Amino acid sequence: MPASPVIHADALVLGYGGEPVCAPVSFTLEAGRALALVGPNGSGKSTVLRAVLGLLEPAGGELQVLGAQVDERDARFRAQVSSVLDDDAYFPALTVAEHLVLTARGHGVADAADVVADLLDDFGLTGHADVLPVALSSGQRRRLLLAAGFARPRRLLVLDEPEQRLDQRMRSALAARLRDEADAGGAVLLATHDPALLEAVADAAVLVGDVESPVLPVTDAARAIRSEPTR
Amino acid sequence: MTPPSAGAGTGTADGSRVPAGRAVRRATAATARRRSDAGIGQLLGDLYYALIMVAIGIGMALGVVEVARDALRPAPVVPAPGPDLGLPSLAGLAVLGFVGVVLSLAGRLGPVGVGAAEATWWLPLPVDRRGLLRPTAARLPLLAGGVGALVLVLVDLTVQGYGGTSADRLVRFGALGGLGTAALVLLAGVGQSLGAVRRRIAAAGHASVALVPVLAVVGALTGWRLEALPSPGAVVLAVLTVVVVAAAVALDRRLGRIPGRDLRESGSISSQAVGAVVSLDSRELGRTLVEGAARPRRRRSARFGAVRSASAAVVAADVALLVRSPRHVVQVLGATVAPAVVLVVPELASTAVLAIVLVGSGYVAMLAGAEGARRAEMAPVLDRLLPLSARRVRVLRTAVPGAVAVVWSLGAFAAVAQLHGDLADGGAEGLMAWLALGLASAPVWAGAAVRSAYRPAPDWAGPLVSTPAGAVPLGVLAVLSRGPDVVALGLVPVLIALLLGAAPVPVLVAQGVASAIVVAVCVRLPATAAGGAGAGAGGAR
Repeated sequence: MPASPVIHADALVLGYGGEPVCAPVSFTLEAGRALALVGPNGSGKSTVLRAVLGLLEPAGGELQVLGAQVDERDARFRAQVSSVLDDDAYFPALTVAEHLVLTARGHGVADAADVVADLLDDFGLTGHADVLPVALSSGQRRRLLLAAGFARPRRLLVLDEPEQRLDQRMRSALAARLRDEADAGGAVLLATHDPALLEAVADAAVLVGDVESPVLPVTDAARAIRSEPTR
Repeated sequence: MTPPSAGAGTGTADGSRVPAGRAVRRATAATARRRSDAGIGQLLGDLYYALIMVAIGIGMALGVVEVARDALRPAPVVPAPGPDLGLPSLAGLAVLGFVGVVLSLAGRLGPVGVGAAEATWWLPLPVDRRGLLRPTAARLPLLAGGVGALVLVLVDLTVQGYGGTSADRLVRFGALGGLGTAALVLLAGVGQSLGAVRRRIAAAGHASVALVPVLAVVGALTGWRLEALPSPGAVVLAVLTVVVVAAAVALDRRLGRIPGRDLRESGSISSQAVGAVVSLDSRELGRTLVEGAARPRRRRSARFGAVRSASAAVVAADVALLVRSPRHVVQVLGATVAPAVVLVVPELASTAVLAIVLVGSGYVAMLAGAEGARRAEMAPVLDRLLPLSARRVRVLRTAVPGAVAVVWSLGAFAAVAQLHGDLADGGAEGLMAWLALGLASAPVWAGAAVRSAYRPAPDWAGPLVSTPAGAVPLGVLAVLSRGPDVVALGLVPVLIALLLGAAPVPVLVAQGVASAIVVAVCVRLPATAAGGAGAGAGGAR
């Protein structure tokens, strides 16, 4: 008997105040796969991610995550779904390392100190471990958020334009890490405007926008990104 | 960082232990405390300062009550013919309005929410949210309860006077206010946990406030009146206590059921509101609270067929903003009716009280009309697109506040005419004079609306003046007084007319001159912005 998909969205309708922001979205994401959402600014990619994370109530259609209706109030849901959105908020009195330790210990990671040390190294933050976030650059703060997404156990990793504010080297390292995540059996759902990241990470893509789209091969999605109108 | 203890937590699928929410919260707070270098001395100093501020606030409120009591006229032994509401009835309605304000604020501020950092770093944890949110959930009901107790005590003191009440009665009113207000906020929290839409809770509050002038008019016309504010009985207080305890327990048990998105939104609005209060930025506070209750919906785009010029576009945008905000329309109508309500309360029907109510209600109406200018100051999107000079934009932005002021003036100055007997038989000439004075003073409100909307951010770099209530930053006061300052000066002819009991022609002329000066001052640009006509119009201050 096949395992149930990590995410199953069927004719998912999303919007604010009763007005849909994009055409219905349908896709399935299974463990060990990475799926990208692409589309121009304002097309509804982040809205889809917010629905998957339980931060937005769908207006119609079906959405199941990890075999159940989405309910982020359920601690079991939060224990299995890791996310990196466009937040830029930090406890002003906690250092970079303490933010990561809080995340790891809050998820019951036994060897939190070791996990955090490795992540600080991977994301180029070792030299800033004892620094307060206010002293970090915009790109360094972004790296801290990304590191937090990996500092905890997860079955599904959701990222909203993770390439934002990263230099090329870090983008490549992130792409490799995300691909490893999927290859190791995790599920990755990301929204992106970066065709290189898309091609390096995703197995398939969904074009979010005014017209309902089937799941596309990555090459077609990368072409769609490159032809996005400049707004 | 002190690691959160895993002892009281729950297990995960891989057998590791997740800490309790309370442990996470305490570990975060302990680290913050350690790094803040705040010792017990500073803590005690802050506590002392807070207590002194509260004591001064209460003292000032009691002083206002004393002045208000002195200004009241004695209640007539024999009720006068015609509409008659009575002071206790008005006080009862004021309490209803206070209930509405509490509900409105509870709905807009959450009442349960978390700040941005907590939302980002706490909410995704698989810990029990109840342990994370407990202090946050208790804060607003406690604060509201304290304010409610004080308000009810002040209301009773105002109606009864120091000689007409007793310590026992004041304690009962304080308990009623504290318990009732806390119950309202706690029940709003329970509603939030049950999935009630927060703006509907706020809308219920708005409806309560809107009911006040309606009930006042209906009561005056139908002869309904309270002879005295009844002292709350022990049974009422006992029932309220049970309600508060039950609501507190229910909210505590349901904290984990409040959706994360709701906690984020509430926390964001609360943080902005607190920031605005701390920085004494009333304009930002207004924006935050208005947007906190706004319904996120699309509207059918207006065609603006009558708009034929850039100037008309600015005015049309302000009109659209006003008519699409029922709260502001109700605000204008309520302010228009308020002076007439005062007249049906014999104890309040005096020139002094009416003058105070005129200024207060005029200011409330002005704020509603100034919404377009206030928003344009924050985000001058339309202004920057239009080929208009900065000064021209300011002149145009007086149009809607001016129209609102005209509507308010007709109602308010008709009340003045009634106070002076000019609505009685044969008083048409007096009525017309008062209405003319009202219309002549309307530009003062319009100018003040623009002046307050385009005021700069509070200047904290100015000198400090030491007062018993602490250091007062003069630069901030100077900024906050922009708007009210021209009202105080521009309405001197109206004040003279009120003292004279008539609006003779010289006063009308003087008011016209004063209004012209006020408008000229208010649409004038500061030196730095005067040269920047054109594209940057709206942003100029």
